[in-house]
Amino acid sequence: MIEGTQDCKHPDNLSKGDFGGKQTMEPGRSLIWLIARKEIIANIRNFKTPVALVIMTLLLLLSAHALALDYRNRLNNWSVNRDSQRDPIVGGRVSYDLSDGSFSYGVGFSHPPPIHSPQPFSALIKGMDGEMDRSANVSQRIVIGARHGELATSALFDTPDTSFVVKLLVSLFALMFSLDAAPREKEVGTLRAMLAQPIRRRELILSKSLGASISLLAPFAVAYFVEIIYLHLAHGLLNDRQDLVCAMLIFGFVSFYGIVFAHIGLFISTITTRTRIAITTALLAWATIVLILPNASVLMAKLLTPTPSYNQLNARLRDARRRILQEEAENNSAARTVRPSRQSLPRIYEIERQETDNYLASKKDQNRRARLFASLSPAGALTFGLSDLAGTGTDAYNAYLDILGSSRDVMLDALKRSLDLSRQDADKLMQEAIETVANRQRRAEPLGADLRSSIIPITSLLAWAVLFGLAACWRFKRYDVR
Amino acid sequence: MFLTILRRELQETGANSILLSALVAMTILVPLSAYIQAGDYQRMVEDYAIRQSIHQTENSSQSIVLIRPTPPLAPFFNGAYDSLPDEFRLRNDTATTNTPSGDLTPLDWLFPKIDLSFIIGVLMTLLTILLAHYTIAGDREQGALKLILAGPIGRRTVLAAKVTGVILPTTVILIYIVFLYTIVVTVFSEGTFDLSGGNLSALAVFTLVAIIVLIVTAALGVAVSASVQRSSVSLFACASIWIVIILIWPTFGPYIASSSKPVAPPEAFQRDMASKEKELVREELAEHRKTAADLKAGQVGVEAAWRRYLELRRGWIERRNEEIGRLVNERKEHVHDQQAFARRISLFSPYVAFKEVLGSLCGTGLESYDEFLVAVEQCRQQEFIPKGLDLRSRQKPWLNAASPGDRLQLRPLQTPSPTLSKRLAAAAWPLSILIAEMIILLTLGALSFERYDVR
Repeated sequence: MIEGTQDCKHPDNLSKGDFGGKQTMEPGRSLIWLIARKEIIANIRNFKTPVALVIMTLLLLLSAHALALDYRNRLNNWSVNRDSQRDPIVGGRVSYDLSDGSFSYGVGFSHPPPIHSPQPFSALIKGMDGEMDRSANVSQRIVIGARHGELATSALFDTPDTSFVVKLLVSLFALMFSLDAAPREKEVGTLRAMLAQPIRRRELILSKSLGASISLLAPFAVAYFVEIIYLHLAHGLLNDRQDLVCAMLIFGFVSFYGIVFAHIGLFISTITTRTRIAITTALLAWATIVLILPNASVLMAKLLTPTPSYNQLNARLRDARRRILQEEAENNSAARTVRPSRQSLPRIYEIERQETDNYLASKKDQNRRARLFASLSPAGALTFGLSDLAGTGTDAYNAYLDILGSSRDVMLDALKRSLDLSRQDADKLMQEAIETVANRQRRAEPLGADLRSSIIPITSLLAWAVLFGLAACWRFKRYDVR
Repeated sequence: MFLTILRRELQETGANSILLSALVAMTILVPLSAYIQAGDYQRMVEDYAIRQSIHQTENSSQSIVLIRPTPPLAPFFNGAYDSLPDEFRLRNDTATTNTPSGDLTPLDWLFPKIDLSFIIGVLMTLLTILLAHYTIAGDREQGALKLILAGPIGRRTVLAAKVTGVILPTTVILIYIVFLYTIVVTVFSEGTFDLSGGNLSALAVFTLVAIIVLIVTAALGVAVSASVQRSSVSLFACASIWIVIILIWPTFGPYIASSSKPVAPPEAFQRDMASKEKELVREELAEHRKTAADLKAGQVGVEAAWRRYLELRRGWIERRNEEIGRLVNERKEHVHDQQAFARRISLFSPYVAFKEVLGSLCGTGLESYDEFLVAVEQCRQQEFIPKGLDLRSRQKPWLNAASPGDRLQLRPLQTPSPTLSKRLAAAAWPLSILIAEMIILLTLGALSFERYDVR
């Protein structure tokens, strides 16, 4: 049985007609592996693989070292903050009681607002974890402290975590390994020789893809596991089984990302005839996909989901309070207009709850939409997917906002109930509420939840890999090998 | 001859698909980014007004909030402005200033905002290096270099024409980008961005500095191209150097600095200060208690007691300033050391040097923040504490009659607004590094080309 393919019609594919059909499948398969092996050996001999191995290992180790120290610092920060919560509150009031009058002076110094503990995985993928280091004072309102000004120099650039190194280097090396599939082979004349063998063009592309992917992923695997071992041995991180499974999932995710770029490289190589043009096109495509598209999609998300600023929220809360005070003054001319009456307080609390919930919901919406849009591009999918897997991504951040919201609810309920209690009982109730809120820390999500969060980015990467793979096959069928 | 070669170079560059693709990409990205920045800036200015109105009614002799003014060129270079506290609360019962609150900006951790500095520093430098890498090695491969040098022309003239052939088109694109960005920001910021003379001259200087960065990149590309024989090797080397100096080193620099020169975590410092404050609070309360008892025993009148109390308060405020101020200054020194080290090791990257210059120029850099902190401290020492005490001394809390209000009228915060020349002087160090890099790379390019084997 002869399998008719378009390949047979191509004049350059000289010997293919003789090998179409079932009996060619075995030689075809062995040829695929043979060419892939040739690619891998060539990449080792021309130092591409060793260079990739050395550069990736060095940068991943540097990244692990820098981020592990950063994590340690943030952990110390959190533990000092936690200890500070137990420090005694100092203060008092002194009364100056004189014969013709009296006045008093009071002063006190209380605890700093609590902060949430950093995630150990942030030493690998920092994601949005830095945003959760800020103090959060939860009472009837949620007051998020400002970022520490001391970190300003690092805020000007990206965070150099594994995600950053992978985003730049794995994509670049993938392009480097796959880019000369067609033009370089054509320039040195080996492409014709290869196509003279009993192999279909799509099988040749498959073997090139296999060769490029193995050449890329083997050094990456070594570099990545050296990084994991370093984090484990030198910094005592990533200790339990779940951490290791998560680290493996991250490796799998990065592999998809690498394959996407290997296929992009193959596609570019099939639409260009000269190596230099292929490299230039690839660099431009790389800059667009890695540097522009993810940022542009986040910009689009911000554009389509405008959120109020914290100050606008404050202004709204203030206006609502003022409106209620005015109504009170209109209804009862004897009412004080500076502080709301006891009857109005529950209403004010409810409005504050509603407005703050709207504010938090709009932030969460913006985060989700940014993830959705960014996931449409490979680099955006990688950034969001890895941070989701590491538990430092959008879902983890949204869960953190939920904790703040529910803590605020605890405080508001206590405040409402305290209105009907005696001063002593009210103080006791509020103290209990404060302790409940202080003990609420965000917890690492189970792995299943992290995996579910990263489904969209994984699907996107798979789709890109398949799309560019098919496009490369399709273009290569028409490629002029002369 | 120079003009002939230049014309040829320009024709080649003009026909290059890289230039066309870059133009298309910029025409999409620049308005999008400028539109977002205009919206952000408008919100920033509105926020400033909202905060002013909130704090004006809430400021009292006990506590006031000082707001950092909005830098007029923030939409062009966000710098460290978003990452630093933009308001401080001063209280009369503590010598520490605290930062009340900040907005939630989680996405900035994953993708820093795109402003004009990113477009120029990353995308335009990439375009420049892609154009420059081919100039010498590419012509050698094509055989054109032999023909050019066969004519009566010096190698330096050829090199100058080639460098100019790269710089001219990139400068034209740069001007187009700055113009487009400015137009979009002006139109969509709804009058909040003021394109007055001062800002316009700052923007002109901004563009000039950007041109220097592009010349540095072009010189780098040409120097590499004149050092290798094949254009693909030149491209590989140029791309690798670009990735290291533009993307990798600026990102790692601050983290390397913080691991080499660590400072105690912020909460540890806060705790040290809190324990000092608590010690002082205890001592102060003890002294007040003793004084109150003495005054009562001495049957002193309430007005005299009030004066004595105010004297005590003044004394304790000064002592707090001194003792807490010492801790704050020590901390500031450590942090400044770390920041200075981070900047020193990162500055050789033209992108970092560019951002440093822009920070001074646009008022969004660390120097401007330090100036704001100095202004806050001055306001505390010279305005808030004396006027707060003065207001307090006029009050008579022992009378149940209404006191003469607790509103503190302070002059607006006097933050320095340096002239353009002063801003440039502040940026002298990174600017001189950029110029030195430009000279060194051009010289290297010329030396390599002198010995270049054109065969």
